[in-house]
Amino acid sequence: MVDITVKNLTKKFGDFAALRGLDLTFPAGQVTCLLGPSGCGKTTLMRIIAGLETPTTGDIYFGSERVNGLSTRQRNIGMVFQYPVVYRGISVRQNIELPLTEDRSLSKSERMRRVEEVLDILEMRDVANLDVSELDNGTRQKVACAREVARRPKIILFDEPITNVDINSKLQLKRGLKELFINLKQTVIYVTHDQTEAMTLADQIALMKDGLITQMGSPREVYDHPKDAFAGFFLGNPGMNFYENIPVRQGEVICDIFPSPVRLPSLNGIVDGIVALGIRPEYVRVSTAQTPASVRAKVVGSAIVTGGQYLLRLRVSSMTVRAKISHTIGSTVRVGDEVWVEFPTEHVSVFANNQA
Amino acid sequence: MDPIVKLDGVGKLYGRKHVLRNITLTVWPGDFMVILGMPTSGKSVLVRLLTGLEIPDSGCIFIRGQDVTTLPPGKRNLGYVPQSFALYPHFSVFDNIAYPLTLAKVPKEKILVEVRRVAELLKIDQFLDRRPDQLSGGQKQRVAIARGLVKNTEIFILDDPLVGLDFKLRERLIEDLRATQEELNVTFIYTTSEAVEAMQLASQLAVLHAGEIIEAGSPDELYHRPKREETMRCVGFPQANFLDAELKGHNGQLELHTPLFSSSVRLASHLQSNHTLVPARASAGFRPEHVMINAPASEHTVSFDAKVLLREDLGGEEIVYLDAQGIQLTTVLRSDEKGALSINIDERVTASIRLEDIAIYLNRCYIGRACVSHDC
Repeated sequence: MVDITVKNLTKKFGDFAALRGLDLTFPAGQVTCLLGPSGCGKTTLMRIIAGLETPTTGDIYFGSERVNGLSTRQRNIGMVFQYPVVYRGISVRQNIELPLTEDRSLSKSERMRRVEEVLDILEMRDVANLDVSELDNGTRQKVACAREVARRPKIILFDEPITNVDINSKLQLKRGLKELFINLKQTVIYVTHDQTEAMTLADQIALMKDGLITQMGSPREVYDHPKDAFAGFFLGNPGMNFYENIPVRQGEVICDIFPSPVRLPSLNGIVDGIVALGIRPEYVRVSTAQTPASVRAKVVGSAIVTGGQYLLRLRVSSMTVRAKISHTIGSTVRVGDEVWVEFPTEHVSVFANNQA
Repeated sequence: MDPIVKLDGVGKLYGRKHVLRNITLTVWPGDFMVILGMPTSGKSVLVRLLTGLEIPDSGCIFIRGQDVTTLPPGKRNLGYVPQSFALYPHFSVFDNIAYPLTLAKVPKEKILVEVRRVAELLKIDQFLDRRPDQLSGGQKQRVAIARGLVKNTEIFILDDPLVGLDFKLRERLIEDLRATQEELNVTFIYTTSEAVEAMQLASQLAVLHAGEIIEAGSPDELYHRPKREETMRCVGFPQANFLDAELKGHNGQLELHTPLFSSSVRLASHLQSNHTLVPARASAGFRPEHVMINAPASEHTVSFDAKVLLREDLGGEEIVYLDAQGIQLTTVLRSDEKGALSINIDERVTASIRLEDIAIYLNRCYIGRACVSHDC
């Protein structure tokens, strides 16, 4: 188990810069999710760390060891791909044990101990003696994960391992991965485009866009304190409400979503200037009664979304606000109603203007 | 006001298989009618009948009051956005969108105006000079939708146009499609298999299941008061929980028995006598947001032990999967509720549900709710 550091890493494919200068460390013993839209460079970064691709410039270190010149095999990494790689014709237990038999330094009892440990964590005891051909593809993917984990490589790379698993086995696989990550502290890099998967499984999210890592932090940190409008948009369902060209005068924001100029904690010392504001729909408070910090709004749309919540579309002067509210209030509000909305200042993010 | 589209007892056979059966559906001018159905429920066949690519084996289709059942596609004056888009790679975005108008020999000045109008609505007006291969997947989809909407008519059929797009692209397109329909002040008939997409777009929602429209109404109605089990199952995300149940008579009262709890039953007002109902196999359905974790017990709730299988963080809310005596259940917690709750994977919790939140279905039809015996 080691940390992974990349320094000044770039990768070009012809004229296209897939990675545009990355400097960061993936901490040892933690799960880091590379999250971003398709084409952001996350798979390229993972392939470079794996040694499947050479960088145009820059260095890769596993701990203090520079690994640029090492082949994939010499790097001692584990990999789990989108489609499960398993050896058919032998049992689940034999699949997990097979790579361990290549390691002469392992005693038979240690081999067995490791196999039984992952079988326990993944709740696969009842299928341990079955031929893998008899399993559905979700369980096969669990076997592929178990085999890589049991080898105890320095790092394990996961490339969208859940994406192609049928819907009925997704939960079991996600749960298995979560249990593995909790119980065996290994250095994991996990590539996904799915924010829920990243928020659920990661210790750290490394958010990527256009060949750069735009923010790295714990899932809740990235979610609640997005550094830029992209993080505010990409995470969340739906993403943030954005308001651009908002003036700041004498340390106070002047915007129609507040009844009067306000000081925002996230202004971070900006005294005068023009900024953009962002707030997540679930933090907008909607009420039928006026409160000191609320402004008048008109309901222009209403729809039921995840878990019976209501996603309201509101007009506040000339601005549109999306508010995600609980079903108890949501079901009493009708399109055309006048309501009061409040934007809690601790949940309003401040961004550079014209980013969105 | 007269219906703008009406299907009356429409059926379609492929060989001996009824792919659509007795479809009756009324669409009013200005409706955003969403037909929600799982894959193979018959959505595509229904679209083919509406557009005139196929002719029904029974029933009639009326458009603008006229019987068009056997009328060819070209004479129905409908706009159509297909599921899989094929853009002409050697045409500019403008020419791709303009193609149906060029084909119809619309004057050039008018084409210019119409293409600009839909391109602005779909936010692709800055790409009109580009070729399709210079666009992202989401932008290409917008061009395909624009080509379908450019036609100068007031009825549009959209066949699952967002299928396959990733979830962030869908989020923006959902907002823009709804705004476009409102702005154009036209009628949309739109098919999808995604519940949240359907509920966000629809002014009216129809549930297509195994070739039949089993229920239609406003999204609110179908979500809160589904009359059919399949409606409760497919209108909503995450999917509703269902338990196999048994209905029994006891001391003149009707009782519900599930593997997790038992209760009395309050029959819906339209059911007069309960004697014909028992004993019978039934099912008990409840929405994820109605499953409470470690909430105080009361006589109006049922409670049972469960183990936490997984907590899934969606950002604004969390889906918690539970295992209760081998039965998998789903709950949803809003971010402001979950703050107080610290539960871990594999932890044992008490799950509870208010009786009035449990709907009972017999032969897949709604018959009533669970209740405390003295209230029934």
